[in-house]
Amino acid sequence: MIHDLPIRFRLFFLRKKPQELDEELRFHLEQATEARIAAGIAPDEARRQALVEFGGVERTREQCHQQRPGWWLGTVRQDIRYALRGFRRNPVFTIAVIATLAVGIGATTAVFSVVDRILFRPLPYAQGDRLVSVGLGQPLERQEFTLGGFFFEWRDTQKPFQSMTYEMGYGDCNLTENQPVHLHCISVAQNFIPVMGIPLQLGRNFTAEEDLPNGPRVAMITDGLWLRRFNRSPAAVNQQINIDGHLTRIVGVLPRDFEMPRLQPTDIVQPAQVDIAEQHTVNSGIGYPMWAFARLRPGVSVAQAKAAMQPLYLHTQQWIPSELRKEFQLQVRSLRDRQMHDAYTAAWVMLTAVLVVLLIACANVASLFSARGAARQRELAVRSALGASRGRLIRQTLTEAFLLALAGAAAGCLFAEILLRVFVAIAPTGIPFLASAGLDLRIVLFTVLVSFVCAALFGIIPALEKPRAIALAARQTKSSAHARLRRLLVAIQIALSVVLLSGASLLVRSFWNLQQQNLGIATRNVITVHVPLNGERYPSGFLDFYLRAQAALGHLPGITTVGMTDSLPPIGGQGMRYPELRVVGRAPTPAGLGGTVSVRHVTPDYFRALQIPIVNGPGFTDPERNSTGHFMILSRELAARMFPGEDPIGKRIEVAIFNPYRAPGPVFTVVGVAANVKNAGLTGDDGPELYELATNQPDTWSDRHFFVLASSLPFSVVAPLIRSTIAQLDPTAPVEVSSMTQTVSQLADRPRFETALLGFFAFCGLLMAVIGLYGVISFVATQRTQEIGIRMALGATRMHILRLIAGEGVRLILVGGLLGLGAALGSAQLLKSLLFNVPPRDPITYAAVTLLLAVVALIATLIPARAAMQVEPVTALRYE
Amino acid sequence: MPESTDLLQGTLDLLILQTLALGPMHGWGVAQRIQQVSKDVLQIGQGSLYPALHRLEYKGWIKADWGNSENNRRAKFYVLTAAGRKQLQTELASWERLSAAIALVLGRIPQVVS
Repeated sequence: MIHDLPIRFRLFFLRKKPQELDEELRFHLEQATEARIAAGIAPDEARRQALVEFGGVERTREQCHQQRPGWWLGTVRQDIRYALRGFRRNPVFTIAVIATLAVGIGATTAVFSVVDRILFRPLPYAQGDRLVSVGLGQPLERQEFTLGGFFFEWRDTQKPFQSMTYEMGYGDCNLTENQPVHLHCISVAQNFIPVMGIPLQLGRNFTAEEDLPNGPRVAMITDGLWLRRFNRSPAAVNQQINIDGHLTRIVGVLPRDFEMPRLQPTDIVQPAQVDIAEQHTVNSGIGYPMWAFARLRPGVSVAQAKAAMQPLYLHTQQWIPSELRKEFQLQVRSLRDRQMHDAYTAAWVMLTAVLVVLLIACANVASLFSARGAARQRELAVRSALGASRGRLIRQTLTEAFLLALAGAAAGCLFAEILLRVFVAIAPTGIPFLASAGLDLRIVLFTVLVSFVCAALFGIIPALEKPRAIALAARQTKSSAHARLRRLLVAIQIALSVVLLSGASLLVRSFWNLQQQNLGIATRNVITVHVPLNGERYPSGFLDFYLRAQAALGHLPGITTVGMTDSLPPIGGQGMRYPELRVVGRAPTPAGLGGTVSVRHVTPDYFRALQIPIVNGPGFTDPERNSTGHFMILSRELAARMFPGEDPIGKRIEVAIFNPYRAPGPVFTVVGVAANVKNAGLTGDDGPELYELATNQPDTWSDRHFFVLASSLPFSVVAPLIRSTIAQLDPTAPVEVSSMTQTVSQLADRPRFETALLGFFAFCGLLMAVIGLYGVISFVATQRTQEIGIRMALGATRMHILRLIAGEGVRLILVGGLLGLGAALGSAQLLKSLLFNVPPRDPITYAAVTLLLAVVALIATLIPARAAMQVEPVTALRYE
Repeated sequence: MPESTDLLQGTLDLLILQTLALGPMHGWGVAQRIQQVSKDVLQIGQGSLYPALHRLEYKGWIKADWGNSENNRRAKFYVLTAAGRKQLQTELASWERLSAAIALVLGRIPQVVS
């Protein structure tokens, strides 16, 4: 009521003094007495009668007080004051609850903020959830791609999509102006921007003419390049920049949050200018590789789209060589699935782990509150007897829970912010979008709410119970129902921390294996150099540059060996199918068998620089580089496979060419067998590998070769020398110098991150579970002090007492531990894809976890049990 | 002591307002007055009187001031405010409607000659 407001406002400040009411009531009583005296009753009797009729005053006082609008605000203030006093009196309880909440809220919020970006973030495209990736999957490339020979037929005859578009992937390109910069240029279809639903900041999309073969050179630039090059000046549009020696006109600026659907680094987007007619003739008749994306028609699901695309795919299959057809299959999946290909598992594991931490935190808060509630039963009974209503008691508990949740939330937010910074600092580049993760307020709110609810829920239970007169009278304050609930909560906490601990231990063991494994190559003092060359400047091929650079680098101080290769372990080289290799004089292996072989194009010094031993045969020699022959070194695994029980040296192997498929190609002479080298990343299995000698034939050299240098001087000393040496040879070429140790260590970033994170959670979980266990046992011990006294008086030894109290804890550890082991074994499969050389049910890990938990939990039990044991019987009997 | 009659919810407020309409009065006076006028049927104990007085005061329908009683004791006197007078009219009207309606239901309409 609006017109009431001024009155309410005034009344809020003008509080009535309680004495006024007392005086009013006294006056009333006096009047009643005088009225009786006037009626002829003796004064004493009159007073007695009046008092009897008058009744209790306290209730009237309370009711009068409650007439005041907003009177309950005062009680809130009272509740808060009372709660704070209680917290001060019981600092251990308060700190335990706040710390538990802080860890729970902090960890959950930080991880949710990260995972949210991975699992649930909106794609930066209009209606991004309607976008799918369409293509072929096969063993050499599991992430689907497509080919020009397929795409245009699909595009023109498909039904399930509103529209289809493609991008042709990343091409090296250099901004060749006064300061050469190595850029990432991506070629896309003309309709790429509108189909993906990308809003341009400035300028326009490509026109159809600009996408024709040999059309005008135009480009869109990303926000990053716009900032670096043009300081975000709108005049950038229509300016010309020099890309690889061609003047290119900027027509548009991409939005700030722009990303390519495959998340490649991007600076410049150009029209692909594909000659559609040519797609059935180029690249062995299957067309250029491309990556296709499509927008689903309204109401069409991904599965429906895939079914509808199947006949088109079968029709275009004719372009795939018949031997390979069954290796390929159509893949249609949402863009998000494609992007998160292998981050999904990690994200879900983290999410599960942190939810378990939150659960443990809640259980801990609940059991702390419940223990406190049991201890306060008498206090509650007294307050209730003094006239506090049950609603008032509940409100009091809620106030306490709310205050603690608030304090916990504040501490939790701080903790989350720190955690998030740590995540970003230690996170590998492989986890997408981590760097841009920020604290999510919705999530903070959610976790605060969850912890408030669990504190409130378990806090209210004692207040809800009708405060019995028994509680007042009885010297015993123990309530068995609460004790059961608390024990259950502790057992659950122990079980959950077993799950976390075993997950973390598995990851630690896996990470240990990863670090300890033999890569087959030297990494210390090995330096790699990559020089992306501009093809326009080398019309007669790159060989000349590489030879000159090799000579120049070899003269640098500290450089002992200069090898060259077209790819670097522990990542594989180019893939080749095993049946494409044929030993001369033998029948070919049937197509589709034998998997793949990694192929590297290397110079003789490659093996010396990386210290890969040649275990058989002479290996490559420098004079062979000038011959026109073809020479090959097999890995030990490949040699054993192709020539079991034979000496492979001197054998001749024909490498089939692709078009026409498996037509006879060049014949190589095997000159050596090299030790096996990791060639499928750190976690992959060693695959068979072969090395082709890089001879001085200019057409066999691409612009993607690496230099592999063995150095006797530290990286920081040599790196600048290398840069200046290359700059003298080609001032327009950007140079990337890295140390092999660093490259390999970066490969381990992802597992390191996962291990560190899960390990941290397991630690938090264990800590909280142990606090919970300690709390319960010491509470039980305190409550049973009197019983202990009686037992001792009746002749129980201290050992008996220890067994009595510790037995309680041991039972909880056993039950919780067994439950946890079961749950951990059951959920271990979830971790499988994150583990390296550790079975998900590794018995050693589980034994270690069980032992660790048992030891820690026993300590948490024995400390309070020992304290109980040392109680003096006399003190114990007099207790309370 | 005559049997006390439970008052209808809200009726006490009406009775107090009506009583105070005659002039300023202290709590005891209000109770006595209602008892006399109702011929001892309506006895109002302090337990319901004072909360009601405070409620009305907070609503702004009555005002309280300290003054001296007939026997020169300090007492709190309640006075009807303008808002209270208006409220009394409203409540009287609705009371009359209500009692007429109840009378109809009970079939005891005095004017009707059977």
